[in-house]
Amino acid sequence: MTAHKSSLFSRLARRVAVVLALGAATLITAAWFYARAAADEAYDRLLLGAAFQMAESLVVADDRLSFVLPPSAFELLGLAQRDRIFYRVVDPSGETLTGYGDISPSADLSRSRAAPVFANMAYRGVEVRTVTTARAVTSQSGTGWAYVIVAQTTEARQALASELTTRAVILVAAMSLLALIGSALAIRLSLRPVDQLGDILRQRDPQDLTPLAATVPRELLPFVTSINHFINRLDERVRLLQRYIADSAHQIRTPLTALTAQVSLINEDTLSPDDRRHLERVRNRTAELARFTNQLLNHAMVIHRFDSTQLAPVSLNDVARKAFRATVPITIDPDMVVSFEASEEELTVLGDLLSLREAIANVIDNALRHGATSRLEVRATRFGDLGRIEVCDDGPGIPPEDWANVTKRFYSSRTEKGSSGLGFAIASEVAFELGGQIGFRGKTAGLPFCVYIDLPLVKEDKG
Amino acid sequence: MLLPRLVMICLLAMAPRSAGAIEGDKELFPASGTETGKLVVHAATDLEAMRPLVLDFQSQYPGLAVEFVDYVTNDLFREAIDACAGRVQGGDILLSSSVDQLVRLANDGCAQPHNSRDTVNAPDWANWRDEIFGFTFEPIVFVYDRRVVPAKDVPRSHEELADLLRSKPDDYRGRIGTYDIEASGVGYLLAFNDSRQAPTSYGRLIESLSRTQTVIRCCNNEVLGEIAAGNVRLAYNVLGSYAYAASRTNSDLGIVLPRDYTLVLSRGAMIPSTAPNPVLGKLLLDYLLSPRGRAVSREKSFFFSENGPLPAEVDGPTSLMESGIGRPIRIGPALLAAQDEIQRRTFIEDWKRLIEGR
Repeated sequence: MTAHKSSLFSRLARRVAVVLALGAATLITAAWFYARAAADEAYDRLLLGAAFQMAESLVVADDRLSFVLPPSAFELLGLAQRDRIFYRVVDPSGETLTGYGDISPSADLSRSRAAPVFANMAYRGVEVRTVTTARAVTSQSGTGWAYVIVAQTTEARQALASELTTRAVILVAAMSLLALIGSALAIRLSLRPVDQLGDILRQRDPQDLTPLAATVPRELLPFVTSINHFINRLDERVRLLQRYIADSAHQIRTPLTALTAQVSLINEDTLSPDDRRHLERVRNRTAELARFTNQLLNHAMVIHRFDSTQLAPVSLNDVARKAFRATVPITIDPDMVVSFEASEEELTVLGDLLSLREAIANVIDNALRHGATSRLEVRATRFGDLGRIEVCDDGPGIPPEDWANVTKRFYSSRTEKGSSGLGFAIASEVAFELGGQIGFRGKTAGLPFCVYIDLPLVKEDKG
Repeated sequence: MLLPRLVMICLLAMAPRSAGAIEGDKELFPASGTETGKLVVHAATDLEAMRPLVLDFQSQYPGLAVEFVDYVTNDLFREAIDACAGRVQGGDILLSSSVDQLVRLANDGCAQPHNSRDTVNAPDWANWRDEIFGFTFEPIVFVYDRRVVPAKDVPRSHEELADLLRSKPDDYRGRIGTYDIEASGVGYLLAFNDSRQAPTSYGRLIESLSRTQTVIRCCNNEVLGEIAAGNVRLAYNVLGSYAYAASRTNSDLGIVLPRDYTLVLSRGAMIPSTAPNPVLGKLLLDYLLSPRGRAVSREKSFFFSENGPLPAEVDGPTSLMESGIGRPIRIGPALLAAQDEIQRRTFIEDWKRLIEGR
């Protein structure tokens, strides 16, 4: 096998997954920030509300700043149920009036005069959120600023933030998964033409050298064009080769005929028995050579005809009968029973009479030469939409493992001597050109081995 | 023998704070089997009430010896603050009826959380941060002496109590008992909650009490003892559990759950962050919150439960919680308001000025 990189699908899917993962990470980070901001905002309001309530409770009585801590402020803060609360009230002189004297979110409390100041700090080893509010108080000694600092631990904020984040994570994860599945489906669909092109190439007959006719997306067009270009060149080469062989065969035939004539002129009587035997062999070899040359020529003829001849309706009965008569020699062994059986109905196929006759003749010839021992049957029948020419003999038949090979040119199974190997190839090519095929049926008990050619029938209305 | 001890504790509590360590009343429950550990309980809870619970707990863990140190609430609080700061060795578990002090301790980071199968049994209002758990259900009641308070006089609400004192000041002058809220943390907590639940009736009640020269005692049992001794006819804001325990031995004691509102206190338990053996403390905490511990508590120690009926002979609404009369003191940050220095000082000063400013 040729080495290959990972599939287009997995490359695309991987890249899409990376993009989605990056997007999801960004979204989750953003969600986390938003969740923290939202939680801070929600609980900052509680904190501020409590601080305001406490600031409201600062009153000047008897020229002293007094403070009654409102429990409702703590109830408000208590809405964040698990959070601890710290507070500090600073009087205008800067002394701690009550609460936790060591909380100081910032050195300069006066900044909170304009607006409440929020801050995060660590207090007693835990993270707290603080708010500082200021309130002007007037006593006989003048007006000063008192400050209320309220701090709350951040458990509820973190819980809310993580709950919001978790929900966002679930949503983002679900969306990413959906997107991934959707992308995978889309990639599969988009890559289908590639698979289809592959299928077309795979299913193509090895002998089919016509250009590919598949409609493909623009991106695949260069490949198809290249493949077609390659096929065309191959086709041309094959034609050149065939013409060369045909020419050679034609050139050989003339001296061969002369040779045959010369051999037949040799007077056998004057020869010694050894020489006579040698002469017999020369005669046989010459005949074999002549037949082979003929087949080569026929083959070239068949190909040439399909290139140049228009197909016409042909009667399958007629052509089979002609082939039968032409092939079965008058000098056939009298012990051999040969029969031809035409179909009762007219079987018309679209084809070329000469090529078709040659194809059938080759099959019959092959059966006579290599198969039949005492019986040969040729039949034209209808087989569904197909017309079928069957050539059956009582010989041993061709083993099934060779069926695929015998239709190749110059294939010769080792068990058969003297086979040129072109007969089935010609029949197969003709059948293929006419939209049919050649087939074999193994020898079974009671039924002989058969070779058949199926050809599509011309529809009645068309004919 | 109970009374002299309590008097001594009260005297100690009221005495100006000495610089030395705070002494509690110690009792050791030795392990029944081979001793494998010693649990130190620091409590502001009557030992007699806790004894059945401790003994039953020890029957589950025979290897444990229990050292039970009893304080008044304020001393327990000071001792816990010292222990939290690392100045003295504290207990493995703190039990206190003054839950506001426990909340303050937890808020200052002196508690450690505990989560177990049993802690989820604690109702929502009796659990803060999984650090403080309320393990009892104690209505706050009026106690009166049946021998001297006629049935028609028995007050069934805070208003009726105030009215009674107004209409018959002479009968009850010097005959009403309550806590000294300065010496008793739970007394302060109850008074503070009274003032918040019903500010108007609280004001009237304090005013009435001030006119009748109320007898002030440090602790529940001492107040109950004054009734038994015939010195006091009616006591206000007594823990229902102690009152019921006393009434079982003295049938002259009548108990009333006020019908306008009844405060419900849940005694708090807390594992200090500096506990020497927090695992042992948690064992006891789990036991107190477990169904078995609650059953023993209901039958032998504290007699009331959130879902069960009121004990017989107690005069009160049939369904305390469902009717909305029962007002549990929620263990939570709102109690911090009670613990504010200024708040506490102002509240106690006002109270003393009214009650004692005769």
